[in-house]
Amino acid sequence: MGENITRREALRKIYEALVVIGASAFISFEDLLAADNTVAEKPMVVWLHGTSCSGCSTAFLNIEDVPVVDLITKFVSLVFHPDLSSATGHQFIEILDQLTQSGKGYILVFEGGIPVKMPHTCMIADKPLTYWVERLAAKATACIGAGTCATLGGIASMDPVTGNIPLDRFLEQRNISKPIVNIPSCPMKPEHITYTILHLLKKGSLPELDKHFRPKKFFARTIHERCLYYADYQEGHFAEFVGDSGCLFRLGCQGPVTRNDCIIMGYNGNTNTCIKAGHPCIGCAGEKFPRQIMFHRFDDPRVIKNKF
Amino acid sequence: MASKRIVIDPLTRIEGHLKIATQVENGIVVEAKASAEMFRGIEKALIGYDARVAQQVTQRVCGVCPYAHAEAAGRALEMAMGITPNTNGKILRNLINGAYQLQDYLLHFYHLCALDFIDITACLKYEGRDETLLGLKAWVQSELKNREIFPAAPFLPRYKAAYCTNQELNVSAIKHYVEALPVMADFLKMVCIFGGKAPHPITIEAGGVTTVPSVSMIAHYQTIFEKSERFIKNEYFNDLVGVAKEFKTYFKEGRGYGNLLSYPHFFDKDGNNPIFSGGSLINGVYSPLDVNQIQEDMTFSYYQTTGSAQTKPLAFDQLIPISEHEFENEQKKESGKYSWSRAPRYKGEVVEVGPVARVVTTYKSGKNPKLNALVDKINSTLGISLEDYPSVMGRHLCRYISATLTIDLIREQLDQLEPGKVAFVEHDVPQNARGYGLTEASRGALAHWIETDDRGYIKNYEMIVPTTWNISPRDSSGRPGAVEQMLLGTKVQDSDNPVELARIVRSTDPCLACAVH
Repeated sequence: MGENITRREALRKIYEALVVIGASAFISFEDLLAADNTVAEKPMVVWLHGTSCSGCSTAFLNIEDVPVVDLITKFVSLVFHPDLSSATGHQFIEILDQLTQSGKGYILVFEGGIPVKMPHTCMIADKPLTYWVERLAAKATACIGAGTCATLGGIASMDPVTGNIPLDRFLEQRNISKPIVNIPSCPMKPEHITYTILHLLKKGSLPELDKHFRPKKFFARTIHERCLYYADYQEGHFAEFVGDSGCLFRLGCQGPVTRNDCIIMGYNGNTNTCIKAGHPCIGCAGEKFPRQIMFHRFDDPRVIKNKF
Repeated sequence: MASKRIVIDPLTRIEGHLKIATQVENGIVVEAKASAEMFRGIEKALIGYDARVAQQVTQRVCGVCPYAHAEAAGRALEMAMGITPNTNGKILRNLINGAYQLQDYLLHFYHLCALDFIDITACLKYEGRDETLLGLKAWVQSELKNREIFPAAPFLPRYKAAYCTNQELNVSAIKHYVEALPVMADFLKMVCIFGGKAPHPITIEAGGVTTVPSVSMIAHYQTIFEKSERFIKNEYFNDLVGVAKEFKTYFKEGRGYGNLLSYPHFFDKDGNNPIFSGGSLINGVYSPLDVNQIQEDMTFSYYQTTGSAQTKPLAFDQLIPISEHEFENEQKKESGKYSWSRAPRYKGEVVEVGPVARVVTTYKSGKNPKLNALVDKINSTLGISLEDYPSVMGRHLCRYISATLTIDLIREQLDQLEPGKVAFVEHDVPQNARGYGLTEASRGALAHWIETDDRGYIKNYEMIVPTTWNISPRDSSGRPGAVEQMLLGTKVQDSDNPVELARIVRSTDPCLACAVH
């Protein structure tokens, strides 16, 4: 061939070809890391907690593919994060004032739910959360819903009194039209959000999304479709108790109705997955989470309803 | 007299939404109010769900200490079932929860608290050859030069204060701030091996742990453990002692009432001889734990209150938040309701829970000679006594003491695990039954109470959580909560930069999502 192509250039060519054929769902982490930035300035990110548990923030710190400190120094400018920022008290308000008045774009990452029936049940700096989300989302370049509470309702929406809703529904109610990415899972997997942000930085666009704004790369298929017990299910070989061999379906497994990539990419740097640990999937990335019954005995006559 | 109101809202680098409002006269705090600023209603929303769901749902009141909720919920249901896990189940619970707590201590020290003491800008003066520090130095330099807004975020801006001037200690702590992150991820991998994932380990069910430990899992866990525990015993210990020596006056700051409460924690493979004995210390007198002495008060909490001011757990099955209109009215009142947190009391007293309570009650019980020897040794090294423990620096120190004992427990019990043996005892969900489960989260005493109906669904549920004890508002007698009391008498040098208050509150490791659930 006679032509000297570095690995980085080769990866970029492959990457470009993939984008051309519309197969961006196949772009890997490594491809994105190798590609040049198409966005000149690293994006500013502001992270906000609603009625959350900080589980997604904790999970974010576990990313292995890219060191966390590299992420927040080389790839983005993390303007504010409730658990990492030195800024506290009035400095929080000053930062958000400066940010929204700067005219510059930023990504709003939102974790938790938004109590719209009783806005006073989540207050920041003497103002309801609804005020802050509305104000920040209005000027954002894009919004990312982090975790099941912020995307599909999850635990935050269990209580009907406070009326917690996810970010996309809130923006729709307030007529705020913004590009949005939903990353369910309880907690969110750090690889999913990092991939999304890298995609934006390197390619200048969001990854391909489904109708619920979830990246197709991770949420196109159910857990069941790729389960290590799929053949057992097909053969009708079901586990009857914990520790028994076979498919966990009759112990309450929600794998067939839950879209996620857990079998391909498990938790904590792919160390394990609920099903591999011998526990049926509780559907934590699903639309109906939490269900009335999530794990039960083989002979329990009570029916697992889809909606409580 | 110069009187001034100082408010920190939101207080960052904790979990959740917390507001601290103080009145300062001549630089001294004379009044303090801690307001939990969120309510989700998860406790009573559980009613009607299967009893086993409590374990999964209550973990999600907190993404920082989910393991402890899983343990408390599992134990509450086990008491209702009348069972205990087998040996493997007991050990796996300890291995999952122990690894999680080690991660939690590092998170709290380096990422939530260190920046209150350590000078992050010290990396600009760094002249050595460490790549991490040179990278940070170059980044901060270019940020300060190029960025018009938010240079070096999220590390700047910060309160102007007298940060540590010991360059060597600053550099060490900054380096370990970065290096602790992969170590923490490793501790959570240990959780994940037996727990399925972290945060929110799935496998802790009433009856034990659903994972069957294999030889390769045990080997994997052990490999990571041996690599990671060194960080606790070396880097964490040295940085902690360094900060404690530089800020020795903080053994006298944030003292509070000195009343302590802790639950028995980390039992042996037979379920006996806890490492931490639990119990209470009221007015200097130690007594073993009496669960019946726990009550809650809602006088200053944003809920509709009827009947008696103090109630026992499971006394009510509805918790009705006040309306927006009532909320605004309460805020206008001089002494209105001011927090979503309730006010738990033990023997009617305000108590502090957490690492100090865990260590001091065990010391006083005399049941763990190893703990007493360690405490005595540290006291003579630092020139302090047990009376200095309920303080800002005492709380940080007790997390290290808890961590060392946890490491020994993990090492001992990992060897006692029987590979290939099921760690779960199967049992029906009990009907019309009650139970409670006690444990210690990293941040203190945690209890769940459960009541089931005639089909095994949840009839009533209650959680009293570490931060609810610490951050509680006043009760009907008007006495300030534990953290409120810790703030009283504190000298604030600069009312625009009240770093002293932040240091005190953060030392208790507040977790608001937990506290108010």
